[in-house]
Amino acid sequence: MTGTAWQRLRDNGPGIAGLCIVLVFALVAVCAWSGLLGQGWAQVTGGRWESAGPDHWFGTNLLGQDILARTLQGAANAIETGLIVTVFSIFLGAALGALSGWSGRGWPDELVLWIAGVLDSIPFYLFAAAVAYALQGHEWSMHVAMIVTFWTTTARIVRGEVMRIKSREFVEAARAMGLNGFTIVLRHVLPNTLHILVVQATITFVAAIKTEVILSFLGLGVKDGVSWGLMLAESSQEVLAGHFGNFLAASISLFLLLMGFNLLADALQDALDTGKVIR
Amino acid sequence: MPYLARRLLHGIALLLGVTFVSFLLMVYFGPDKTYDLVGKNPTPQQIGEVRHELGYDRPFLQRYGDYLRQLLTLDLGLSDSSGEPVSAMLERSVPVSLALVLPGFVLGNLLGLAFAMLAAWYRGSWLDKLITSASVVGMSISFLIIIIALQVLLCTPYGLNLFPVRGWKVEGLASYLYYVTVPTLALVLVTLGYNTRYYRAIVTTEAERDHVRTLRAFGASPVEIMFRHVLKNSLIPILTRVMFSVPLVFVSGSLLLESYFGIPGIGQVTFNAITSDDQPVLKAVVGLTGVLFALALSVNDLLYTKVDPRLTER
Repeated sequence: MTGTAWQRLRDNGPGIAGLCIVLVFALVAVCAWSGLLGQGWAQVTGGRWESAGPDHWFGTNLLGQDILARTLQGAANAIETGLIVTVFSIFLGAALGALSGWSGRGWPDELVLWIAGVLDSIPFYLFAAAVAYALQGHEWSMHVAMIVTFWTTTARIVRGEVMRIKSREFVEAARAMGLNGFTIVLRHVLPNTLHILVVQATITFVAAIKTEVILSFLGLGVKDGVSWGLMLAESSQEVLAGHFGNFLAASISLFLLLMGFNLLADALQDALDTGKVIR
Repeated sequence: MPYLARRLLHGIALLLGVTFVSFLLMVYFGPDKTYDLVGKNPTPQQIGEVRHELGYDRPFLQRYGDYLRQLLTLDLGLSDSSGEPVSAMLERSVPVSLALVLPGFVLGNLLGLAFAMLAAWYRGSWLDKLITSASVVGMSISFLIIIIALQVLLCTPYGLNLFPVRGWKVEGLASYLYYVTVPTLALVLVTLGYNTRYYRAIVTTEAERDHVRTLRAFGASPVEIMFRHVLKNSLIPILTRVMFSVPLVFVSGSLLLESYFGIPGIGQVTFNAITSDDQPVLKAVVGLTGVLFALALSVNDLLYTKVDPRLTER
């Protein structure tokens, strides 16, 4: 990120608000991982459906577990899923997109586009179900399903950008100096797609968190841990009986985190001037 | 190679790819079902018979060919959990899902397009800012939250209590509206943010072109400019989005809506198959939606040539 981009981001009010929200959630996640926050989320510490009070700030759920602790732990889980999926799918998207764009209209390009087309053609939740089925419900099947499908958009955008960069003079100069293709792509082409990767990472993060919630609700995601999706699944019965603690805690936190990331993604797109990435 | 032949070849490659992925995941790498079917203390011979019946002893490509044939002839076998023919289950549930999802799908796209055109016409004004911010808010709310919140607000005594919490007993227009309203609202709300934003990006690019500015300067009416010039020229990306999202919205949308509202459509069939590991149903649904998607893409390509005849010349 260049100096001007940072300045433009700093002047973007909603973007900074988004960044702050994301940082707060990241801090919560770090505290939850290191055991400072959200401990005892699995323990029964109160009665059934206690309302909010000094002992349980957000009340308790059906089993008498503290909803606040579960919400904080759910945040850690959302951030963790988002990070894992984002890192791997951006890496995959950058690598395959660069391969595809660099080879330009050759067979590697056709192959990558074909694989991306095939993966985009299968409705995602069905694909996730199929992966869970093939891996026999392994706890990582949710991450695998997301990584395997989420790289395609990044790859397509990187491909276009690499094709554009390929014809630039500095690439030609590098080639004239006798550098091989791999080195040129790694040292000179991919660094020039960094702005795309940063924006795509925020967008992928949003998609991963949203998807984790729905997969967990469908029983294809988190099974033994705690997740906002599982809290919403519990709450779907509770709200009919008038207990809104689980629902409000999970949905408000989920909304805040997603909103933060969306604002940040927009501000980054403006600051890095990638043009609005059409989703 | 002529344009259409090339598109056709792409369509076939896509079709083979999609069916191959679902075959790999659902049939080849899927759990071994032999021991669910053999009795207690089976002899090696009995095991061999069951494996033969399931086709496990056949070569890889032949099994893939079998799967393709099953999909093409709609001879999809029997459901593991109910014993009903899978094709009969699909026949019963697909119309329900179409009736459930269609109004929300159409409304979500039309409203998104309408908001996008408003935002583009008043670009940079407070209205544009309001529409853009509202669509970011819409994009940040999970489908699940929308469904639960609407259910509480419209279907329970804690809200207006006007519509049913669950179920689908459609016998006429009144009962159809009674059951379809809340799911439709949910679908519109979840798609509106993304649609508006996408369409706004397309429409604003088109509305900034020189000929549009000239028309505006000559005082042509907004309706004429927007519909006759801007909309017409943005048709390709709009059509693409609509075609691309048909299978995805119908499957993913119906999956959540139907499992939540207890509506006996394809989504509920799929949800039950997921929770009970019903392989024949799952592999049929995954394979068929993939095939439908590949077909939708090919139809999309044909529509392109209708909208923009230049494409065939390239």
